[in-house]
Amino acid sequence: QVSVLYFARSAELAGLRCETLWVPRQVTSLQLWEEIVKVHPRLAVIRDQVVFAVRQEYVLLGDQLLVLQPGDEVAIIPPISGG
Amino acid sequence: MDESEDVPKDFVKLKSEKLSVDEVSELVISPYCGAVSLFIGTTRNNFEGKKVIHLEYEAYTSMAESEIKKICRDVRQKWPSVKHIAVHHRLGVVPITEASVIIAVSSPHRAESLEAVMYCINTLKASVPIWKK
Repeated sequence: QVSVLYFARSAELAGLRCETLWVPRQVTSLQLWEEIVKVHPRLAVIRDQVVFAVRQEYVLLGDQLLVLQPGDEVAIIPPISGG
Repeated sequence: MDESEDVPKDFVKLKSEKLSVDEVSELVISPYCGAVSLFIGTTRNNFEGKKVIHLEYEAYTSMAESEIKKICRDVRQKWPSVKHIAVHHRLGVVPITEASVIIAVSSPHRAESLEAVMYCINTLKASVPIWKK
């Protein structure tokens, strides 16, 4: 199972900031996003602006294969604008 | 301070209190360095044609710190003579004209610290998970 952190708009749409989800150990990044959207369908609207991070590394939504360990941290971040 | 212990250090901090230019520049000062270069990012009073009173920053803090540390590592690879690097970013509400980010870099001669500071802020803006709410 992985910890999913929701930030900014994704937290508003999901209605929470953090939860544990059960997902397959090996998934593509797109499949992982789709698992999360199954639980929180309202997240679908932000798909094009979402920035995804797994184990604190950026991941593009696509075919990239992820091998997940229990307790891995997945974060849904808005487009960055710091500095 | 033991001068022979002047090991290169990275000082990375995310905080909600007002940032201090004195504090950040003092962190990087070194007897071996003749140059300290500084960048201060402040809140502007306009953005895309709209008036701004303040900005509010939020971060994925654990990853923001690790991304900033990666930037420090990159800086040291590109400019090996760089001595100390300090990056302080403010989170929460930042009123206009106050600093949202201060970056300071020290090096023996000025070219490296000037270039390193520019690299730091450009890369921070592109890759560190901090955003305006």
